[in-house]
Amino acid sequence: MIRSALFLSLWVTLASTLIVAVIGTISGYLISRRRFPGRGLLEAVLNLPLVLPPTVTGYYLIVLLGRRGLLGETLFEWTGFTVPFTWVACVVAASLMAFPLMLRSALVAFESIDPRQALAAASLGHGRLSTFFRVLVPMARRGLLAGMVLSFARALGEFGATLMLAGNIPGRTQTLPLAIYEAALSGEDRDALLMAGALTLVSVIVMILAGRLDRKTA
Amino acid sequence: MNPFEIDIRLEHENSGPDRFTLEAAFQASGQTTVLFGPSGAGKTTLLQAVLGGRRPERGRIQVAGRTVFDSERAIDLPTRQRRIGVVFQDALLFPHLDVRHNVAFGARGGNRYALAQELLDRVEGGHLGSRMPVDLSGGEKQRIALARALAARPAAILLDEPFSALDGPAREALGETVRQVQAESGIPFLHVTHDITEALRIGDHMVVLDQGRVVQQGRPSDVVAAPTSTVAARAVGTENLYRARVLNHHPDGYTTLDLGGVSVETGLMPSPTGDEVAVGLRAEDVLISLNRVTGTSARNVLAGTITELSPRGSAIEVRVETPVAIRALVTRASVQELRLHTGSPVHLLIKAAAFQRLI
Repeated sequence: MIRSALFLSLWVTLASTLIVAVIGTISGYLISRRRFPGRGLLEAVLNLPLVLPPTVTGYYLIVLLGRRGLLGETLFEWTGFTVPFTWVACVVAASLMAFPLMLRSALVAFESIDPRQALAAASLGHGRLSTFFRVLVPMARRGLLAGMVLSFARALGEFGATLMLAGNIPGRTQTLPLAIYEAALSGEDRDALLMAGALTLVSVIVMILAGRLDRKTA
Repeated sequence: MNPFEIDIRLEHENSGPDRFTLEAAFQASGQTTVLFGPSGAGKTTLLQAVLGGRRPERGRIQVAGRTVFDSERAIDLPTRQRRIGVVFQDALLFPHLDVRHNVAFGARGGNRYALAQELLDRVEGGHLGSRMPVDLSGGEKQRIALARALAARPAAILLDEPFSALDGPAREALGETVRQVQAESGIPFLHVTHDITEALRIGDHMVVLDQGRVVQQGRPSDVVAAPTSTVAARAVGTENLYRARVLNHHPDGYTTLDLGGVSVETGLMPSPTGDEVAVGLRAEDVLISLNRVTGTSARNVLAGTITELSPRGSAIEVRVETPVAIRALVTRASVQELRLHTGSPVHLLIKAAAFQRLI
């Protein structure tokens, strides 16, 4: 049980960190490019998972992705696949919860770049894509990296929304935080301690790696 | 064909009392056009419009014979297609790339690193290739930024106060490099500055901008000799400014300059014969005499005619054509006692040391 929870947690966390990194970087860039009407509202909505109780976020996910959900019904009709109670649900829940942290970091990182840098790149004949990948992303890399570390931590510790959408099925959707909860509740103190230790160890390793990367890119 | 033909109207973004509309029209005939004006005059906004970073509400921008913006014909080329290079005040090199990659960033093709090295040599930065921007001095950064702009083979280059963050010697050295690069490449430069000396020293054509409007333009030496605009006059102050040619150096320790039809003796100038230098002469340092005096230590006695008398605070500024215009600042009492008026023939006495070379 412990091993499967550990591997599931690592897989889910890595997958959501990657997804969030890509989507968060792109949306951070797009939002940073200009002030537009409704920008405040958009940012508030995107930041909702940060302030809402995770169970509320999880509930919205069920409404959206459940078999009779707004998107879930169409998805089921077309593919026969339903998101809830699968590892995909774990990834979706973790990604959504981590997204605001990545977005915020990316937004700040891109906004702190002098807009004339992009103008300089354009004057040298580079289009938007080239400027984005060769100038803006490298210049924002510290903020993006910090955002990824925060997202990783958030995804690794995700509990409430995951419980709502993915349930707590040992071997299938039971991530480490869920397994710890169950072990502690049923008095399996040794297991709970072991898993808490494993989670702590992973967190420490990530922080050390991030610190190294950060110094290297400084 | 004029390198820059600009006629635009652009609402300035600043809110508050600084707010104004940029409404500028000029045709620059020189190879190096200087856009002069105090800070907040709209110089940088104009530069951004030429570069494509700001879109004017209406108007036309033509650079090196090519229309890059025309509201009537619905032309608005994106920056990357304008073929206009730019050097910013703070250089703005890409901080994550070393010097060689910064320069090669604008180049195309397989030999772009060879081209980068060639350009680095041209701006006297050949030894800096593997340095990171953070390890460069202010002057070095500007050299690299110039090389980077050249790498994209631009039709024109815009320079936004490239010298303003530099100290005297670095400023002079970079100025010399910029002048050489311009002359060798033949690429027209549009050079923004708020320093009238710099405008005089490097410009072939000068456009004076104030509150978003072109208030004066012409040859820099003409503008400083007769600053009809308030901003130019204020910048010139009580200084006579000239672009002079070094005629020769004397072993006795003085230099003869041609101020533009009049030869004067000055202190020894560290520029080779034939070179152009900018020199300043304070109006307070010019003496007026009714007759040609001898037996003074003043090395320059120039005959001329008074063309204008204008009050300057408690003093009077007297403008004398020699034929080069020289302004002298004298007291009201002197004007009355010598009975100076427009048309009076006078002699000007100027010490050699009163001429200051400007950098």
